[in-house]
Amino acid sequence: MVKISSRREKWHDILPRYMTFISHMRPILRETRRIIIHLDADLLLDTEVLDKIRQEEEKRNIRKVRALSEFSAMYRSNVYEIIKDFIIKYRDKIPILDIKDYIVDFLHESVDALSILQNITNPDERNVANTYLYRLTKFIEEILFTRGNNIKHIYEKLLNHAPKFYECQRHLLMPHTYYREKIENPDFFMIPGISPKVYQVINNITSLYNLDPNFGRFPERNNYEIPMILTNEVFLPYVDSIANAEEEAIENIAERIGLRILDGIFLAPQKNTVEIFLEHNFLRENKQSDDSIRLIPQFSNETLILYYLAFTSFRRGFLSKELINWISMNFAFLTYMGILKWKLSDENIFYAIFKDLQTNEKVLPYLMKLICFPNYLGLDKMKIRDSVQYRKEIFNFIGSQIDNLKDLIEEIAIYCETIDEKNKNK
Amino acid sequence: MIENQDRTWKELLQEFIKGIDKAVDELEKRDVDNIPGAKQALLQRLNNMKLHFPTNEGEIFIRSINDKIQNAFFPDTQDFTEAFEKILKSRTHEQDFIINELLNGFVTSKAKAIALGTQGPIIDRMVEAFSKRNDFHIVDHQFFAMFGDPNKPRSYIKKQLEELVNMFGLISKEFVVEKDKRTSERKVYTFYTFPDEILKILEEKYIIIDDELGHAYVSEEFDRTVFICMFLANVAINRDDLEKIGGPYTVNGICAIFALVLLLSFMPKLSVDETNPILRDPTFNEQNMSVIPKSWMMKQVLEPLFEPLIKVVAYRLGGGLWYSKIIDSEINKKIHTQIRFLLRDVNKWVLGQLVRVEIPIFIEIANIFTEITIGTNSQE
Repeated sequence: MVKISSRREKWHDILPRYMTFISHMRPILRETRRIIIHLDADLLLDTEVLDKIRQEEEKRNIRKVRALSEFSAMYRSNVYEIIKDFIIKYRDKIPILDIKDYIVDFLHESVDALSILQNITNPDERNVANTYLYRLTKFIEEILFTRGNNIKHIYEKLLNHAPKFYECQRHLLMPHTYYREKIENPDFFMIPGISPKVYQVINNITSLYNLDPNFGRFPERNNYEIPMILTNEVFLPYVDSIANAEEEAIENIAERIGLRILDGIFLAPQKNTVEIFLEHNFLRENKQSDDSIRLIPQFSNETLILYYLAFTSFRRGFLSKELINWISMNFAFLTYMGILKWKLSDENIFYAIFKDLQTNEKVLPYLMKLICFPNYLGLDKMKIRDSVQYRKEIFNFIGSQIDNLKDLIEEIAIYCETIDEKNKNK
Repeated sequence: MIENQDRTWKELLQEFIKGIDKAVDELEKRDVDNIPGAKQALLQRLNNMKLHFPTNEGEIFIRSINDKIQNAFFPDTQDFTEAFEKILKSRTHEQDFIINELLNGFVTSKAKAIALGTQGPIIDRMVEAFSKRNDFHIVDHQFFAMFGDPNKPRSYIKKQLEELVNMFGLISKEFVVEKDKRTSERKVYTFYTFPDEILKILEEKYIIIDDELGHAYVSEEFDRTVFICMFLANVAINRDDLEKIGGPYTVNGICAIFALVLLLSFMPKLSVDETNPILRDPTFNEQNMSVIPKSWMMKQVLEPLFEPLIKVVAYRLGGGLWYSKIIDSEINKKIHTQIRFLLRDVNKWVLGQLVRVEIPIFIEIANIFTEITIGTNSQE
């Protein structure tokens, strides 16, 4: 069983844990850079010299905590191995002086990246609005998980970003651990992510609305007709009770996509959804011969999915454990990768260390928790899993990247640059 | 035998033509399209199909399925490497959606899909496990350490790994340590990697081989779809061994998705009035998307078209064996109605209109249709 931390962790409990490993990485890189700068370039040609330096450096290690000293040794050894490989690979092609310069530059970039990661926020959350953590979280939040006073407002903002980042927005709703979730939670308010089957069901609903809906009286507005589809028809193709769980939970699913059950058999838009959809042209008014107004559906792929996202964002206090872990993991990963993209050149040889699982698992879990605090995403961080097993899930997550996330990482890197320039101009 | 085959093929073509007739009848009765002329365009297209599909023993089908669909997603070869190379070559951002859909099997309402839900994330594990070593191998012990659950027996993840190794056609090598440093016992490590010929194909774009250091790194491009391509290649070369590829479910699933690809390719492009809001919608890109009629999606129209089309695809892909596995039941008719909503990212809704993203496979099949239609007309 995966355990949830029993203690309510505070900001000053988690931040030091996040800092611990980063604060051990940076000195190693700085020290290595200092050593390389002062080393005669010709000596670099003899890789044994580097081995000896590393051994000497390791002797100076006086950390008492075993995990930390092990990590430092591993980290240092990775750094030196990468340097050695780089030298061996290019020593016959590039003058050794240039190789040295490259290594120093790459180290410089890496130290810079770690410096940003280390100063991403501060222990007292002083000047919070100016911290990188805050600004980056808000930047990503605006695109993927917008806040707002009501669903209408959130929906509008999400829709504005959909042309560029719809695939990311959809990705944020679809945890890979969906099979652990219940669609219908005993707690009615609990919102799970979208499983592939629920995604299919939502697709079917979208298509049935666009194809051939029925129309019925709009309960809250006289003389208006709203589109309705038969719940039965949505589940018609699912034989062998394969979508029983979804069928039983249709009321919950409907609520999450802005619909409701009418007369026990129809799926129809809720009153507020009608307003939102009308505003965005997903419903259009059509005057009938009897002067009544019929609302004709013209849904897009995003129409219901983004409603689910807006609903999730609005009720972020009631998200399921899987969804919270998934969302915060995405945010942590995007923040981390955005900073790296900004600071490291694409050819930087140390990129591999930053993306190494051993580094990731030391940084991302704590970053996830920090991102859940009220000033940032405001999610229930108590639901963040904190176990070995959970850390392994980070690896699955990283393996499941989609191209659109890479585009977003590029945007984050550009935004980091803007923040930096503004800070310099102050 | 050949005579028999020809007879079956002819019957299938006739069945499809009958299906078109029924679809046309149904279409005449109703109109769900709201773009002026959409229904007429579809009717005309169906009538054209009826006229031209039987030409040259069903040349349109033969070329579309044999040359285009098979080449891109399901190569007709016994050679795993060749099959993999062809599928990999057909990758584009949008065609990846089709490749991924093929893994999910079919919308099957049946529980047994090609890959179970829980295997999806395990493919991601494979990607990550390969990414984390510089020799493009994964080692069983490393895999357990990365993904094993301390609360579950190791056999659990071992079984998952073995299933995936078979599914993707990976090869294994054993490395024996006579005396393990910690336990002083003999230890056997199993390394898994891609067959050499596959590695050659992956070189440069997906794997960067560093001859000097003897390292093999995965590039940014290496992702889960590479594995799915391997899986498809594996199914393609083993198509005659139903047991090996998951039985009738796989056959029905794959044929249904390809039938949808065919149908979508044959749909006529509609020209929309310049005042139509779809043209101002930021998600609609006139350069690579076309509005197509949505009436074909009506259950009444789709059913008579889809059933014979799936059989046509099955016969072309797997001959009599596959054809005999197409389940012709009321239940399956229900399932077929679901398939119309698949391939959602290339067959998408924009403001209530159905939009086809013009990916290479659609364009190529549509070109065959146009070429044969024009050829026949000019001969006349």
